[in-house]
Amino acid sequence: MDDEPDVDVIVVGGGPAGACAALVAARAGLSTVLLERGPFPGSKNMYGGVVYPRILDRLIPNWWETAPIQRWVTRRSTMVLTDTQALTVDYRTEAWGKPPYNGATAYRPDFDHWLAGHAEAAGAQLVCDTTAVGLLRGASGRIVGVRTDRPGGDLRARVVIACDGVNSFLAKEAGLFEHTDAKHYTLGVKETLALPKEVIDERFGVRGREGVDIEMIGCTSGVNGGGFLYTNLDSVAVGVVLKLPKLAAQQLRPEEIIARMKRHPAIAPLIEGADLKEYSAHLIPEAGLAMMPKMTTDGMLVAGDAAALCLAAGIWLEGVNFAMASGMYAGEAVVEAVRNGDVGVEGLAGYQRRLSETFVLKDHRRLRRAPEIVLSDRVQHLYPAMVAGIAERMFQVDNPAPKPRLRTILKQERKRVGIRRRDLARDGLDGLRTFG
Amino acid sequence: MIAACVKWVAGVPEPGDERFAGISAADQAAVELALRHGASMGDDVVVVTAGPPAAERALREALAAGATRAVRVDLPADATSSDVATALAGVVGDAAFVWCGDYSTDRGSGSVPAFLAAERSARQALGAVAVDLADGATISVTRRLDGGRREVSTVSAPAVVSVEGAVARLRRAGLAGVLAARTAPIEVRRPAVVVPDVAAIVHAYRPRARTLPPPHGSTLDRLRELTDAAAAPAHGETVHLDPADAADRILTALRAWSYLT
Ligand SMILES: Cc1cc2nc3c(=O)[nH]c(=O)nc-3n(C[C@H](O)[C@H](O)[C@H](O)COP(=O)(O)OP(=O)(O)OC[C@H]3O[C@@H](n4cnc5c(N)ncnc54)[C@H](O)[C@@H]3O)c2cc1C
Repeated sequence: MDDEPDVDVIVVGGGPAGACAALVAARAGLSTVLLERGPFPGSKNMYGGVVYPRILDRLIPNWWETAPIQRWVTRRSTMVLTDTQALTVDYRTEAWGKPPYNGATAYRPDFDHWLAGHAEAAGAQLVCDTTAVGLLRGASGRIVGVRTDRPGGDLRARVVIACDGVNSFLAKEAGLFEHTDAKHYTLGVKETLALPKEVIDERFGVRGREGVDIEMIGCTSGVNGGGFLYTNLDSVAVGVVLKLPKLAAQQLRPEEIIARMKRHPAIAPLIEGADLKEYSAHLIPEAGLAMMPKMTTDGMLVAGDAAALCLAAGIWLEGVNFAMASGMYAGEAVVEAVRNGDVGVEGLAGYQRRLSETFVLKDHRRLRRAPEIVLSDRVQHLYPAMVAGIAERMFQVDNPAPKPRLRTILKQERKRVGIRRRDLARDGLDGLRTFG
Repeated sequence: MIAACVKWVAGVPEPGDERFAGISAADQAAVELALRHGASMGDDVVVVTAGPPAAERALREALAAGATRAVRVDLPADATSSDVATALAGVVGDAAFVWCGDYSTDRGSGSVPAFLAAERSARQALGAVAVDLADGATISVTRRLDGGRREVSTVSAPAVVSVEGAVARLRRAGLAGVLAARTAPIEVRRPAVVVPDVAAIVHAYRPRARTLPPPHGSTLDRLRELTDAAAAPAHGETVHLDPADAADRILTALRAWSYLT
């Protein structure tokens, strides 16, 4: 028959979501093909640089012994910047520098390649240099496979798991996205700058494999967004995340925004003398719940960035862990569905259930308003100046004038910057509700 | 039988890193020509590599693209060119034509095809920039000469031909081929143990240092002197034509000087 499957499962995309989906399916004994358009998994992938692999405890015990990690994040800083000021909240702990660890910097061509290697070892057939260009549908309209860009490129399967990343053509073709809107996306751009390891250790106050993760706000030349700086072993990643409509309206080039951020007095000394090794850019599905598609249709599931599961909420920029987890849950649901002989929406319902019961959707629900708050005009353009102004006046000694009261400073700074008391109270409450 | 010989190089610039491993564009062109040649003659195409097990990936890619059979001769990556040629000759002994790339991604001296031709007492046409398979039994091979000239030779079996990367582009393997090649059998042969002639290589020849006068003249002049660019006939000519005729004139000249065919 025409619809007879060649394999049980096709996973499209060899990123973290696809690798975990294929790993789970193959390990359960399903014949699994993992399609990747690049020459190897990770070759086309970029991100800021910090991955939180805790979820891998379930798939790869002691993953930290073999994962291609650059540095373990033992310092996390959040910086609020104006053109001339910087207020930093800095936290460091020894605990994150030893097993079972917390976050780590890693290069995606290393990390994704390593993770997909586990899927291959479990029996998944990795096919690189191959792009899925469309979906195959059976007589009932059910999705029964994908068309690839190779000659004779149709491949049929019981289930397709689309892990093809942000702006997923497969999810769109399957009709899972009701609408897409540029305002739901941010553009992430990043420079990788080479510096000798000793220089990084010295400038960032770390040793051995310890690393630093800095998130910034107020450093994006008036375009709503944020910045980051992460340390690898002998390079640092410096980048910004920019709201698309604002970027378009401001007519600024993203590389110019990075260049300005690099000239900031608080950043420049950290990266002085570094060699530019790589410039990369990628879209981020920023809006979380507000943009999520339906997760399943008959014969297909969607996971990772393709399902807009990236958590991009201000000081959190976590996509890889959400991709790995959703890929894993998609894999589990598919194994269940194939065993039960029902790969329709009903049969695949285990996927949505798993997402809802775990951090994947719980975090998204709790932080549903976070992207909007963090990227709002006041948080972006007014609060950094107010907060930095307060800090400056608190620590400034104006003898013979006596020290002003904090309450007075707050009021004066709020007025100077131009924030209404009512808005401040409302934003404070909103922030507390979301992040509290 | 038509054969293609390829050299798999384990990771440039990171040795041992499979992400950067593979065969050169020239070797890929050799595989493509072998496939076309085999198809035109209705003959089997065997693809051979001398190398470690990891090199089988290159063979699988050739199988996916349509090669009939694949053989790996188990040799360490640092075997000398003549040992590699001996090992390959043992496999491609009765092939009418053996296609090779004229450089690999590491050493790239292109000596293996020459050794191989000598080993088999076959004809050799090395460094082809264009190939015409004609009737298949006798092919025509274009090679570079100095001064932008070309040499066209007619080559019949048995022959070893090495080609540059631009001669042909390896076809895109079909999906079914790629999937089937993953588990296709690959014949592994173990050559007799090669004992390198240590005595012959340990005493490297060291010429005595000699003082040379510092270089004179401009770098460009010295480059002209070293290459024989100066000896090439002067083609200079000034013409005044309208654009369309000028374009025709340029094309005619480029053809006459063998820059275009
Ligand atoms: C600038 C920036 C900074 C970020 N920083 C962080 C961070 O610090 N930490 C963090 O956790 N996350 C971060 N993220 C988010 C993170 O990168 C993503 O959430 C994550 O990569 C999603 O994984 P995925 O597997 O869903 O998709 P991807 O990683 O995008 O993988 C998709 C894969 O599918 C392949 N593919 C796509 N289409 C096809 C097709 N049609 N056929 C075959 N293959 C296809 C691609 O080549 C790719 O390998 C950042 C993102 C950006 C852009």
